[in-house]
Amino acid sequence: MEEHSIVESVLDNLPVAVFAKDATDGFRFILWNKKQEEVTTIRASKALGKADHDLFSQDSADYFRSVDEAVIKRGKLMKVPEEIIETKNGREVHLRTVKIPVHDKETGRLLVVGISEDITEQVKSLEQLERLNRHLVATNKELQETQMQLIQAEKLESIGRLAAGVAHEVKNPLALLLLGVDYLSEGIDPDDPNIATILKQMRDAVDRADRIVRGLVDFSSQRSLSREATRLSLIIEEVLLLVKHELTRSNTQVTVEIEKDLPFVYLDMSKFEQVLINLIINAVHAMSKVENRRIKIKARSESLDEVIKNEGARKREVFRTGDQVVILEIIDNGCGIAAGDAGRLFDPFFTTKATGLGTGLGLSVARRIVELHGGELTLRNRSLNRGAIARLILPTKLETGKVTPPINSSKEIDIPKEKLSP
Amino acid sequence: MARKILLVDDEAGFTQLLKMNLEKSGGYEVKIENDSMQAVAAARSFMPDAIVLDVVMPGMDGGDVQAQLQTIPSLAKIPVVMLTALVDSTELSEGAVAQAGNQLVLPKPVNLSLLLRVLEEIVPME
Repeated sequence: MEEHSIVESVLDNLPVAVFAKDATDGFRFILWNKKQEEVTTIRASKALGKADHDLFSQDSADYFRSVDEAVIKRGKLMKVPEEIIETKNGREVHLRTVKIPVHDKETGRLLVVGISEDITEQVKSLEQLERLNRHLVATNKELQETQMQLIQAEKLESIGRLAAGVAHEVKNPLALLLLGVDYLSEGIDPDDPNIATILKQMRDAVDRADRIVRGLVDFSSQRSLSREATRLSLIIEEVLLLVKHELTRSNTQVTVEIEKDLPFVYLDMSKFEQVLINLIINAVHAMSKVENRRIKIKARSESLDEVIKNEGARKREVFRTGDQVVILEIIDNGCGIAAGDAGRLFDPFFTTKATGLGTGLGLSVARRIVELHGGELTLRNRSLNRGAIARLILPTKLETGKVTPPINSSKEIDIPKEKLSP
Repeated sequence: MARKILLVDDEAGFTQLLKMNLEKSGGYEVKIENDSMQAVAAARSFMPDAIVLDVVMPGMDGGDVQAQLQTIPSLAKIPVVMLTALVDSTELSEGAVAQAGNQLVLPKPVNLSLLLRVLEEIVPME
């Protein structure tokens, strides 16, 4: 057993590096413990009696000296949160160091005592964490962009399906305009009582065609999610205009029941129209084998407490109790949901329609859009009659509802839509 | 004597202007029916010389109306002109036209002079 003083034993077994320099003798090292040997890869026998400039690079030594001098000058402890030394084998060691001025009463020397903690691993894992985080943020952003692209792709798909109907709806006002022109080009008799009616009809026809075309252009635009305070009745009206042809052709009767004084909902018009068009077209397809096809669109406002009471506690995770929500239901009398399909309805690419009639993306995209609005979309069979109910629960405030990550700047409110230039 | 034409189309503005045009051209008395479900009843009471019938209508479409007219002896002989704005040519050949038998089908928007010519042919002025 080697002979050591207690102090030496303690110092050499500390998990931190300890050193001391004599400020009255050119800051030469007079203490260098085992951990300091490990950290610097310099033996005590080599270091003792030497100064920083004999052991470290010029830059490092200059820096250490300036701190040492400051410690002596101020006579106070100094903390160096992070310093880097390069060992002889080229490894970088990150240290957190405390330097303490000590007046040795016995010898009268002024000492700088340093205690260093090796934080290299900590720094490395922090850097790695930051790298991972940056990567995660980038991946997340990419995912959101992909999702928006998917929503847009699905929308273009439904525009394709709507195009024939929309063309038909535009042709009607055009037919009317042509008749007006025919009438007027026969010569205008100022006393003809028909003229006023004809001009009014022609003006209405232009307005109507303009609304339909503008609706389609608005609908097809790809914007980041941009929510505005909106009346639900307005969106429903626009949507019914776009699907009018599909409804007429399939001989589907639509009734709309919207509660009076329904609160505003914060919606992205174009994306929300996509949801409603999907749900209505789905309902029409579900009724293909039914006579008397009927769709009922109902909207009412409820406090969330009532919803929870009626629907169970599941909603709590989405909304806070006490929230006022708007409930929108699209009810059909079609074939309903087959028992085996219920769990897969919202899976991407799941479809019960014949090849070419649907991509299977409609419902999954619709649900995602509703979730981006902080709302909830569910589908189930009607309890008494045949058919299905699509039910949307929508928040009436911007900040309520599930917290969804912002997509670009997701809460641009009141940004006017781009004006159509002729 | 004016020739009587029954216009059946759910577009009220369109029928109103077509009526004005036909009446202005002289020699026509036009009745409008915007509800296709009432078309047959209107034909029965008005007894037109020709019927101008839209294809795509809510309730009964033009083909349904035409088929029903065929079942009523007093109305079966009345010539029918079908109007359609359907842009899909397959729909035109498979759907409405087949049900309409060999009746005339004119595209929408209506070319007024073509319609007048067709009407002149099927219900000539006596």
